[in-house]
Amino acid sequence: MGEVELSCLAYAKMYLHASQFPRCSVNGLLLSSSAAGGAVCITDCVPLLHTHLSLAPITQLALTQVDVWCSQTQQRIVGYYQANACASDSSPTPCALKIAEKIFEQCNNAVLLMIDGEKMFPGCRVPPIVMYERKDARWALKDKHTIMLRQWEETCSIVNQLFSSGDQALLVDFDSHLDDITKDWTNQKLNAKIMELVSPANGNV
Amino acid sequence: MSSISELYDVSWEEMRDKLRKWREENFRNSEQIVDVGEELINEHASKLGDDIWIIYEQVMIAALDCSRDDLAWSCLQELKRQFPDSHRVKRLAGMRLEALERYEDANKLYDSILQDDPTNTAARKRKISILRAQGKSSEAIRELNEYLEQFVGDQEAWHELSELYINEHDYAKAAFCLEELMMTNPHNHLYCEQYAEVKYTQGGLENLELARKYFAQALKLNNRNMRALFGLYMSASHIAASPKVSAKVKKDNVKYAAWATSQISRAYQLQHLPAGVMLTSLALSISTKTPYTTAASAGVAVVIEIHGRRQT
Repeated sequence: MGEVELSCLAYAKMYLHASQFPRCSVNGLLLSSSAAGGAVCITDCVPLLHTHLSLAPITQLALTQVDVWCSQTQQRIVGYYQANACASDSSPTPCALKIAEKIFEQCNNAVLLMIDGEKMFPGCRVPPIVMYERKDARWALKDKHTIMLRQWEETCSIVNQLFSSGDQALLVDFDSHLDDITKDWTNQKLNAKIMELVSPANGNV
Repeated sequence: MSSISELYDVSWEEMRDKLRKWREENFRNSEQIVDVGEELINEHASKLGDDIWIIYEQVMIAALDCSRDDLAWSCLQELKRQFPDSHRVKRLAGMRLEALERYEDANKLYDSILQDDPTNTAARKRKISILRAQGKSSEAIRELNEYLEQFVGDQEAWHELSELYINEHDYAKAAFCLEELMMTNPHNHLYCEQYAEVKYTQGGLENLELARKYFAQALKLNNRNMRALFGLYMSASHIAASPKVSAKVKKDNVKYAAWATSQISRAYQLQHLPAGVMLTSLALSISTKTPYTTAASAGVAVVIEIHGRRQT
């Protein structure tokens, strides 16, 4: 189907989220601030949960919250990501498929992104992601060539910088927000830090 | 790289006490345990007395959690030297094999412990953990059920089983496990709240009412449990919105939902946080206007004003 572009900001936060909770399955939503139609540009993400992904109440709450926030900030929910606790198994769980379905109902080029835990080690040359798109009423693997990660090397080095400066601990997911409501699940602080590190020569990321 | 004691200006006694606190409260802050424990072991071993053995054990497990096999290995050697025939140390050796994904070897070790001592619960539980790590959920569930028939009071095991069932979407059985936990831990608000979430997920009017009751119970036990507060709102709203309930039930649940909203609003305002997004989305959480809801709304109006965009 169409092309998908994944920004440094979205990738970095997803990666940090999965790294923050290595023993848990984590999930989150992929957002886009560009208009619908054409290529899907994933410009940001919101980390959601690291406990009980398949229980309904908090998931429903989080989905609606993010939806409202998006409409206030001119963004759209265009996808869903998940990293399984069992690093060797990166296949989408029933819960992942369910949520992705819901997103697809609103966005017809929605993507489902699974993080491949086995490829999350320093020095790995390949992005640790597996993407699915909706084709013929099921979720099919997306052709790798239609997935673009701009400035992959730079993205990797930015992630490493975040780890070495300890800024990865700034990431807040929705679960953490519920544990302490003073924590900001929109991650404004971390977003600013990451955008600082992104080279200004890029223009849009 | 400066040491922990330099970075945080703490004495070795404070470090030792911190480790004890983490041990007693069963924290899994493995990176911290490794940082503090490694320095304690390297610099202050002689001062620790007999405490050193339990610290070796604690640091070893934390080291395995952080892929520090070097540190885990040296801790294990010290323990083996001091307690050559100990089952407890053997189990640690098994855990190291698990960390290296040598599951067959680990199982052999645990089997040899169980041959010597069939009541050794630690070895049995490690075997179940291996099944879980290998993704063999149904077998893990079966073994855990068998284990619980014998060791019916093992809270940790009941909780592990509830997690396994939740992952398998077998909510009825997960609820059963949580019921066991609530019976033996009536003051634990987390079990109440988890039980309520499972009931909510199961859906249907009866389960929603149970969910609401248990969210309320969790709040009684801990009035700062935000999940319970939101859960109470959502279950009450769904009940009120259901076409099958009587006018009285509807009225009561609208009241409960309104109370929950005011509590949520208050909690955010106490922290000087804009509650706008939160409250708007609450109203939407149960209406048909947004895509991310399950129940149809039928005249439940919880009208909230938007207070402002969420900012840090």
